[in-house]
Amino acid sequence: MAITRADVARLASEYAARHPREILRLALENVDNIAISFSGADDIVLIDMASRIRKGVQVFSLDTGRLHPETYKFLELVRDRYDIRFEAMFPDHAAVEKLVREKGLYSFFVDGHHECCGIRKVMPLRRKLATLDAWITGQRRDQSPGTRLAIEVIEEDKSFGTAEKPLLKFNPLAHWTSAQVWEYIRDYEVPYNELHARGYVSIGCEPCTRAVLPNQHERAGRWWWEEETKKECGLHAGNRGKP
Amino acid sequence: MHITFVKKIKADGSPCRKCAEVEQRLRESGQLERIDTVAIADERDPESAGMLLAAKHGIDVAPFFIVRNDDGAERIYTIYFQFAKEVLNRRLSEQDEAKELLSRDPSLDLL
Repeated sequence: MAITRADVARLASEYAARHPREILRLALENVDNIAISFSGADDIVLIDMASRIRKGVQVFSLDTGRLHPETYKFLELVRDRYDIRFEAMFPDHAAVEKLVREKGLYSFFVDGHHECCGIRKVMPLRRKLATLDAWITGQRRDQSPGTRLAIEVIEEDKSFGTAEKPLLKFNPLAHWTSAQVWEYIRDYEVPYNELHARGYVSIGCEPCTRAVLPNQHERAGRWWWEEETKKECGLHAGNRGKP
Repeated sequence: MHITFVKKIKADGSPCRKCAEVEQRLRESGQLERIDTVAIADERDPESAGMLLAAKHGIDVAPFFIVRNDDGAERIYTIYFQFAKEVLNRRLSEQDEAKELLSRDPSLDLL
């Protein structure tokens, strides 16, 4: 791997305002063992851009078993259309069976989404990331003002990497807006998930995703019933003492 | 080694659910006694011990742990399973670790 942890801060600053294509090129040309994480939504632009840089890029999606039928169709369309190495990551069946046996199929409406997402998304993601030196995501700052304002175009992933096996994370779209992403989709005639045409902005699992109204933030379309509990762990700055 | 456990009281006076959950795990595993000091971060009181510690160390989530070694060096843990693994030599289940990662890494919220 030509890019190491020591390069991250410098490159993040150097590439902070560069076109996503340049960030992708940097990633794909300097890290061999790298993959794009594809959610089946507007992060399709990453696959389109990457395919114009290199053939056979590794792409993976987290198949939770609860995605919309439209998303499955879209994943298959993308797999057919682009010259990529596509892989679907599935949850551990024993963990899903235990969750459903003990709490049913809709426990997230009662207990919050972390347990279900932990099993269906984070565990398979962790398994996949353990095999990589770097991953590429479609995360953007404008997706969630509350939680994504701090993301950089290049980061060291401290959640999934370790001191012994560091992991780099490229977020080429970090500084792009939703409008820029859709301008790219139109300009390059990139296929998109048909749910977008029905008011879905952020697309996740079927029970936990809903369409949003015009001018409503995309965050409102995910886990709308638990906004308050999500904030529970924060120590709110306004109340915090000064050093 | 000296371990400080900082837990939160919310602005409405109720205890933080996550803090209670972590405390319960420590109790059930018999490791609550490894905690030397419990500091309360009371959101209603910026001068409470926990709020001052959070400000001092630039931490904006609770619960968290401050581990001071005998040489005076301090390490902060905001992710419980990392604290449990590195300090208490105890591993959580993969499932619990995944759940914890989600609650502590806000960038994962729209996976």
